[in-house]
Amino acid sequence: MTTYIIRRLLYTIPIVFGVLLLTFVLFTLVGGDISIEIAGKNATPDTIAEIRAEYGLDKPLFLSWDSQFINHFKNAFTFDFGRARDRELVVDKIKRGVGPSLALTVPMFFGVIIISVSLALVIAFVQGSMWDVLAVFICVAGMSIPYLSFILFGQYFLAYKLGLFPVFFSPDLPTAQYVALPVLIGIVSGLGGNLRFYRTVMLDEMRSDYVRTAFAKGLSTRRVLFKHVLKNAMIPIITRVVLAIPFLFLGSLLLERFFGIPGLGYLMIEAIGSRDYFVINAMTYISAILFVVFNVITDICYGLVDPRVSFE
Amino acid sequence: MKRQKVSLLTALIATIFLFAGCPDSSSQSEPNEMVLHHALASRLTGLDPGDQRNVTTLTIKSQIFEPLYQYHFLKRPYRLVPLLAEDMPQISSDKLTYTIKIKKGVYFQDDECFPGGRGRQVRAEDFVFAIKRIANIRYRSQNWSIFDDKIVGLDKFREYTKDCKKAEDVDYSRNVEGLQAPDDYTLVIKLKRPWPQLLTYALSDTATAPVAKEAVDCYGKDIMSHPVGTGPFMLKQWRRRSYIELVRNPAFRGEAYPSEGEPGDAEAGYLDDAGKIMPFADRVVWTIIEEDQPRWFLFLQGKLDSSAIPKDNFSEVIGGSGKLTPEMKRRNIHLKTFLDPTTFFLGFNMQDPILGKNKSLRFAISRAINREKFIELFRNNRDTVAHGIIPPLMASYDPKIEEKGYARFDPKEAQELLKEAEAIHGGKLPTLKIGVPGTDTFFRQFGQFFERQLEAVGLDVEAEYMDGPTYWEKLHTRSLQMFASGMGATLPDPQDLLQSFYSKYWAPGSNSFNYANPEFDKLYEKIAVMFDSPERTELYRRMELIVLEDCPAVFLNHRVAYVLHHDWYKNYKPNVFTQGLSKYRRVDMKKRAAYKELLKKIK
Repeated sequence: MTTYIIRRLLYTIPIVFGVLLLTFVLFTLVGGDISIEIAGKNATPDTIAEIRAEYGLDKPLFLSWDSQFINHFKNAFTFDFGRARDRELVVDKIKRGVGPSLALTVPMFFGVIIISVSLALVIAFVQGSMWDVLAVFICVAGMSIPYLSFILFGQYFLAYKLGLFPVFFSPDLPTAQYVALPVLIGIVSGLGGNLRFYRTVMLDEMRSDYVRTAFAKGLSTRRVLFKHVLKNAMIPIITRVVLAIPFLFLGSLLLERFFGIPGLGYLMIEAIGSRDYFVINAMTYISAILFVVFNVITDICYGLVDPRVSFE
Repeated sequence: MKRQKVSLLTALIATIFLFAGCPDSSSQSEPNEMVLHHALASRLTGLDPGDQRNVTTLTIKSQIFEPLYQYHFLKRPYRLVPLLAEDMPQISSDKLTYTIKIKKGVYFQDDECFPGGRGRQVRAEDFVFAIKRIANIRYRSQNWSIFDDKIVGLDKFREYTKDCKKAEDVDYSRNVEGLQAPDDYTLVIKLKRPWPQLLTYALSDTATAPVAKEAVDCYGKDIMSHPVGTGPFMLKQWRRRSYIELVRNPAFRGEAYPSEGEPGDAEAGYLDDAGKIMPFADRVVWTIIEEDQPRWFLFLQGKLDSSAIPKDNFSEVIGGSGKLTPEMKRRNIHLKTFLDPTTFFLGFNMQDPILGKNKSLRFAISRAINREKFIELFRNNRDTVAHGIIPPLMASYDPKIEEKGYARFDPKEAQELLKEAEAIHGGKLPTLKIGVPGTDTFFRQFGQFFERQLEAVGLDVEAEYMDGPTYWEKLHTRSLQMFASGMGATLPDPQDLLQSFYSKYWAPGSNSFNYANPEFDKLYEKIAVMFDSPERTELYRRMELIVLEDCPAVFLNHRVAYVLHHDWYKNYKPNVFTQGLSKYRRVDMKKRAAYKELLKKIK
């Protein structure tokens, strides 16, 4: 297993290298020069030149030990992302955004998994009944409604009209209170797709011979569903769940913006809007690393839940 | 075992909430504390007075930092009054030397950067330092264009800073002939040539507010989040992308609310607080809310004191008569409308080979656009048609400009002009492109409006939708053919707007039209050193007509601002050239409390 992990980690090197190369090409060669914009209205050429020097944009692109290309890699490997366009350290921005993002995405993540897997088991068991048809209909409807509509409706009806939740972030409120509504919206909007997926997974398992055998042996429904079906459905569940974890760190772009949660999703959308390459670059790099690491973790989990999977 | 798993999960979520932060007990209101609640529609990028010029940062900075002069809060037309200056300056007969006496007893706020943490008294040298700092090339301030080639010796000082490796290496004790502090309370500024906007623009801008060198040395690059000013408020907390909170500065000397205004001010209640010491509020909180919906809901819930009217909620607020709807009146919401010093336009790149040499084509486009329809569709009929560059708010606005007919909608004339344009071009005109600075529904509707209007007279036009940064980059590199944009004056003098047509300011400067007219340039150079006079007003109008005759842009509308506020929010007189207005605002706490009761009844 150790050999397998080492081998998989070695595979990540070319992936991370590729991501860095891509970000360099996108932000440096395609994205263009941002120094004029940073300099502001009526900036003199010497001010623009000074900004270019401060951000290292005056250095050669390649073919030098001090080139922009080499520095891009050097900074990434040392996690030195420099300062953002507003001169704040990029690392500080990211550190500050992690907490609020996780406060929003982690409860959403667990809420969606627990509810959708449990409901999927029940619905799969009553397959073909009116409840199943109704559930599928609601799932499809939920998947068809745009995410933004959930947000606008939730904010208008639950927060503004009924006053059950705060409309927006406020420093006077405890975190749990101002993230409650966005979490609820995130769970409700995420249920449709997830429930349908897990229902399909469970149905595949329910049609297996071992389920019929288990029932024939007289095992209780609860024991069959939760002990046998759920365990055997773990591979697709793990794939979906573990690979979703890196995205938790990225927060939720729209929810954070509409509810004023100063997380990483908001940071990213703002950085894209203001072409803050320094922030976008750091976020892309960190996301790539997280994604690769969690890919490895997914593979390891396969072996842990299913003895048929070998690390050889 | 199962119980353990559930406990673990609960602990995990609880830890995350803890990690995300607890309620900020320090920002919770005391029962009788007067707190102003505002919203910012865009994020704040920094609080260093020497750098950053966007409206959001200026709004906050101007509550903390004070320049030498400010515009009178109540009197109109706008006039300057001393703020940190003792009086108006003594100006030499050649208009080149300004001697300014500085108020005694002005202190910087208490801060760790000072010995013992106690703010020291402001000296003339602090103003000199602030301007020299902007000149420092290593500091690369956005404000340098204000002083470029204006003050004797300052450009030489800037040249010297190029030899220094870092901003910190610059020796600020080096003499600059045009910036002298002969004693602690006297500032002398010597100009290269007369500069009529020195007071109305430069010395009333937070960029020239005194800066404590101790703060710059102490905080380095992080000074943008450690403002040390002299103003009525000081920074308590700034959670980036979330909210900013200012509290009353205990070291503030106190300033009396104006005792005189213009006719009607007393009746409007603007003089109720005459002579009282400001600021009135204990705290000011700005929450950054970029979306219209939550901002509007918070205002209706009474959690914001004032608000603009979102486009989609306009009919909910303003009835057919142009007045507030009964629902708004029931909530005791007040409406303020006022002219904004802005001009919006569809600009032409005069260096474009098709548009630049074809005046008939430019005029055809101008005649083909129905400005009234544009205002009806995109501004809920709020704005006025722009017949020229100068907004009606300015004293130099020509009330007869409408008669000249530059903004008239005449599709037939447009078609005739297009025939002339095709003859000049030597055949059918190709599809023209308009750069639109946005990609959302609003901007798409905006682009489609111009496409349809021009299509109706037989001209093919295609709107190109792009994000803000891409748009600005294309504009700066002169690669847009036509562009939808606007300009706003920062002082009650159209010189600010007319400079956008001066040939030396071609893009990336403010002349995005890349327009050049030798006669206009000559007049611009003349007015640049002229002080306010009927002769200068006449020249402003002549320059405006030169531009209108060359048609480097289709001027569309001058904005009329509509702002709502609750009845508890007092002294809310619009003032479009001053940002530091929180010191004047007061909250009637009883009325604010009564609104909560009213909301219950409404529900």
